[in-house]
Formats: sequence, structure tokens, C-alpha cells
Amino acid sequence: MRFQDAAKDARAVVYAGIQADPLVARAAALLEEGTAAERLLARAAMNGERTDPETWRRVFPSLLGEGSDEGRRAHAEAVLAASLEVAERGEAARSQYRGAVVEELTARLLARRTGPDAPVRRERRVLFDGVRAEIHPYDVTVESATRPEVYDCKWGARGINADVLNQLDDARAHAADEEVGLRVAIVVFDARRSCELRLVRSTAEHGGTRLVALESLDELGEAKS
Amino acid sequence: MPWPRSGRYATGVNDRGEVTERAAEAYRALADLAETVEDEWQYVTDLVDAYLPSIRALAEADGGRAPTAAQIEAVDEAIAEIGLIADPHRAIDWLSTFPHVVGLALRGDVDRPAGDGPFGEPAATEPDEDSPFRILQGYR
Repeated sequence: MRFQDAAKDARAVVYAGIQADPLVARAAALLEEGTAAERLLARAAMNGERTDPETWRRVFPSLLGEGSDEGRRAHAEAVLAASLEVAERGEAARSQYRGAVVEELTARLLARRTGPDAPVRRERRVLFDGVRAEIHPYDVTVESATRPEVYDCKWGARGINADVLNQLDDARAHAADEEVGLRVAIVVFDARRSCELRLVRSTAEHGGTRLVALESLDELGEAKS
Repeated sequence: MPWPRSGRYATGVNDRGEVTERAAEAYRALADLAETVEDEWQYVTDLVDAYLPSIRALAEADGGRAPTAAQIEAVDEAIAEIGLIADPHRAIDWLSTFPHVVGLALRGDVDRPAGDGPFGEPAATEPDEDSPFRILQGYR
């Protein structure tokens, strides 16, 4: 089993431009340090109809209201500002920005517990002996020689589908054939309950695929994860 | 003449019940829009079956305390936000988000089935340590 850079087609080149936008890095950095409630704020504001901050201050008084902790409130304000910038990118672009933010956030959290012997990489394919390569690269990989990991990142639970689950489980199974314990996971910037509702209807094999939902994103950066 | 304490409590309870009912009605309307995405009918139905009772159960959350003006305003602003949605695909996204926004505002748990106590009573006020609700509310 080995990792390989994905081929760059025209769509990938355009998306790479979005991934490199400083707004993506700023939003991800804020969310990395954010609470679960601030991540919920980001999800709501990035997907909202209204982009005036006053509206969102009223929707989230525990984060942005007068009575909230001053330090946390400043951070929540920064999360809100970045989220509204994403929302203002326009209907077509913002879905790509949101996806890029989730990927960048995942990579940053994973990097908390990995070192030079397990680099965190983006847009990589996994090749197995005698197996036809998958078309779609994995959003984030941890390329450890002993405990490799692959992650698919989704903005919402609706992104959980049979194709994604099959690709992840196939990779896990092919790695097992080579006696490699490949850990596979799907990271979803959405409520765990919504993800579980999606998964329970899926006929695709996913028993060996870990779900990391919005409330538990910090687990990505914890040593035991 | 000031209201007797019992009268204020009753009003507060009514406020909580009324605001959660408004949220539930708005959620149902959002689901009607989302259901127009035929491929996602089952998922929309599953979301509504799960979350609508949980939204209604928020009437009993936080010890049934009367919500503050800011809490009521938060829920009404969230209702206004989903009322602006015209895109059914975005409506599906919000069917997942809205219950948690309302739950956060009213300090209630929408992550567990309503009435999931052993005798069908409302969920315990102290959820498990690792519950998404506790994480969202900042307990850990």
C-alpha cells in the first residue's frame, strides 16, 4: 500500500485556488480553537440567508450576547466574521469554501498529534497491489508507515453516501489484505444525530469506518483517537 | 400591583411552551420545503421524526424555567432565518442545524429522543458525560 498525489484536472486546479485562499486558513484556524457551540455558529452563518452580524448575535446570545465571557465572545465574533465572509462569496462558491474549511480544519486538528514520521497530507490517493486505483483522492491522509489513516470530509450529513462509504471500506479491506491497519473515517461538520440518521439507512458497509461529527471534532487531535 | 410569584412562573412556562411551539411549526414548514427534493424524502422524514419531538420537548428543558427575553429573541430570529429559505437543498441542511440552534438557545437537549426515560418521561436533565448536548453547551 502506498500514497500518491492525485492527478490535477481542471476542476482540481480551480479547487486548489479556493483551498489556498487565506480566508479558508483563517476560518479553519479559528474553528480549530473554537468550541462546539462556535462551530455550530459557523455552520449556521456559513449556510445562512442573512449576512448581517447583528442577526447572528441575536440568534446566539450565549456566545455573542452581553452576558457571555468577554474573551470567548471576542473569539466567537471572529468566527462569525469569517463565517459571514464565506457566506458572502456567493451561492456557487460558498459550498466549495465550506468544504475547503472542513478539510483544512481536519488537517490542523490531526497535525496536533502527528509528527514528521506521520505527515498530514491533502488530496492523496491510496494504491494497493493488484487493485485498480480509486478515481477520487482522500481529502486528508495521515501517512504513517505503521498506522496510516485516511479521511473524507463533508460539510453536511447529506454528503454521507454509498460511494464515499464504499470507497473508505474498500480501502480498509485492501489494506487489511496487505496486513496494514488502515484507519478510515468520515469527518462531517454536522450534528452527530443527523449523521447517524443518515448512516442507519445506508446499505453500504461502514462498520469499520469511524464517524467524526461536529461535536467531537477535537477527538481528531487527541492521542487516543 | 406586582404579579404573584406563581403567576409569573405560569407565564414563563407558557412563554417556553409558546416559543417551542413556534419553533416546531417553523420546522414543519421547513420540512415541507425540503420534501420537494424527491431523492431525499426518506432522510427528510427521518430528520423530522427525530427532531420535531425533540424540539417540542424543549418546552420542559432547563427545568422548565421561563426563558429570558434574549432566549426568546434567539429562537424567533432562528425561525425568521429559516423562513427566508427558498432553496429546498438548503432547507435540508437547516433541518439538521435548526434544532441544535434552538436547543442551544433554550439550554435543552435535542440529541436524544423526546420522552426517552424508562417510563416515557422527559429525558433526564443531566445527560451522559459524552453526549453531544453537553459538548455543545460547553460542559466539557
